Amino acid sequence: MKTIAKAKLPLVLELLAKEYKVLVPAKFEGVTRFTPYQQDVELALEENVIMPPKDIFFPQTEKMYKFKAKDKSLEIEEYPLEDAMQIIFGIRSCDMKSIDCLDQVFLTKSYVDPYYKNKRDRSILVALSCIEPMDSCFCTSMGIDPQKAVGADIQAYDLGDKIGFEAISDVGKEILEKISSLLTEEEVTLPAVGEFNLNADVEGVPEKLKEMFDHPIWDDISRKCLNCSACAYVCPTCHCFDIANEVRGEDGVKIRCWDCCMFDEYTMMAGGHQPRPGKKERVRNRFLHKLRYFPERYDMLLCTGCGRCVVKCPVNMDITSIIRQIKNA
Amino acid sequence: MSEITKKIQEIAREILEKGEAEIVIGWEKGTFWYLSPPAFIDKPEDTQRLVWDEFCHNNLSKYLLDYKNHEGKVAIFVKGCDSRAFNRLLQDKQVDREKVVLIGIPCTGLKDQDKAKSLGPNGDIPKAQKCMECKYPTPLVYDYLIGGEEALNEVAATKEAPDFSDVKAVEEMTPDERYDFWTKQYDRCLRCYACRNVCPACSCRECIFDQTRIGWIGKANNSSENQFFALTRAMHVAGRCVECGECERACPMDIPIMLLNKKLIKDINELFGKYDAGIDPEGKLPLGHFDKNDPEEFM
Repeated sequence: MKTIAKAKLPLVLELLAKEYKVLVPAKFEGVTRFTPYQQDVELALEENVIMPPKDIFFPQTEKMYKFKAKDKSLEIEEYPLEDAMQIIFGIRSCDMKSIDCLDQVFLTKSYVDPYYKNKRDRSILVALSCIEPMDSCFCTSMGIDPQKAVGADIQAYDLGDKIGFEAISDVGKEILEKISSLLTEEEVTLPAVGEFNLNADVEGVPEKLKEMFDHPIWDDISRKCLNCSACAYVCPTCHCFDIANEVRGEDGVKIRCWDCCMFDEYTMMAGGHQPRPGKKERVRNRFLHKLRYFPERYDMLLCTGCGRCVVKCPVNMDITSIIRQIKNA
Repeated sequence: MSEITKKIQEIAREILEKGEAEIVIGWEKGTFWYLSPPAFIDKPEDTQRLVWDEFCHNNLSKYLLDYKNHEGKVAIFVKGCDSRAFNRLLQDKQVDREKVVLIGIPCTGLKDQDKAKSLGPNGDIPKAQKCMECKYPTPLVYDYLIGGEEALNEVAATKEAPDFSDVKAVEEMTPDERYDFWTKQYDRCLRCYACRNVCPACSCRECIFDQTRIGWIGKANNSSENQFFALTRAMHVAGRCVECGECERACPMDIPIMLLNKKLIKDINELFGKYDAGIDPEGKLPLGHFDKNDPEEFM
């Protein structure tokens, strides 16, 4: 395997940054997230980043097109699509799986979302294996291998003081070729992955949930929920959005923004009917979406075990505990 | 099990068994050792889940808003700050005193959750910032008190002086520096509204920030909308913030929200005289009434 000492990783990033926009896990203004590589970037490779790579493909706020409405005429102007290739370095297996989930939503079942596709098509993904799970990690419970990501162009391996690279796709091979002068070929054994503190047994959960819409468990689970969207906005797979107009006089911009099933406006219908009026209905929807509806439609769970919601929820709503409660119900 | 935990479980069981309340809201151990999230107990046998430790941060008074139209009584545990929040809700006629059973816990200060996470269970974990500046660790209103009156004296001795040095540091910045500071803070705001939803001063049935269709605030996440959100919320809780620090703890982006709230507390103290929210449920709010002696420098 081709390897490089961890301390020399910036040389690789530096070299690639001459040709591509390179996004790396880094601490930026107090939060770890994927940040454009620059010499003074504060790399964060010890733990997974707080903000997942979701917003690279599906930004929190995205301008779709401009329009001008005058009298009875309407002109629409598209924004030019970018075509520069970008490399995203250091995506963990859980987040690679989340990109697979987002691909299903935005690229399959007969509708291709042009805004997502453009960013996705020009992104080269370098996955990075994990050897030491964080306290909140449970990816293996979700069928994910922390050392082998799905959909990577290059799989990078955390080898302790070194990083190993393995090309998976043709683009991946090309990229490795470009940095080969910095790498050494050597035999490596992958280090064993540490113990997981959290786990969840999802076997049979999607099927069981089919009969649990009216189960009293939802009253119990939802009582402490605050109906904020901290969980959804740090979630690598939550992908609901709302489309709105920003209008100033004759000119307007169509924007789409992240939205969350915890909010009142989310399901508010014309005429004022609210089909999900309270905590119970909203919390139930969130977990049914992740554990039943999404598997029904796409044959995969909408949770990758990254643990971000478990860490960031102000009232410790813990999906692993909710899965346990569903199993025991 | 700590002595206080034992007492908490006993009293909760008694309240449920006697039918004094239908539900008791307390805290239980969460996913990690440094988390003690809210617990809703309605069966006497479940009271053994309840705990009291240095991570019982959640201000349980907030949940009383969920039981506003509930027929039966609700019992909640209150620390000093939670009891101030209760008084505030009472002052705004958001809760009915007769329908709530309050169990006071003299609080010696909670520990910083984030620091606990990084230092580990054997580390020397410092107190949460809000607790270091707490003026009212003792519950101001209660029906039952854990530990009895002698516990109150013990707590009174731990009081530390409130400190506005962090506010002063921001005040001393030039306007440009200050604008830059707050812009950076709120540029990372996700507008998840965890701060609002956890806050006991936020009791509006319909919140301005949910009115995107009407256009009070845009849905877009950008500097301008985020700052509009931050300033509006800060002004709206001014004079009503009980300094429980829950907004800042709940923020997934670690925005120093209490710094804004403390600035407003300091300003109110300077402009309208010393005022602590949630102390006197009968009193008038500094920004909620007109007094002939109010400063009118702008007139």
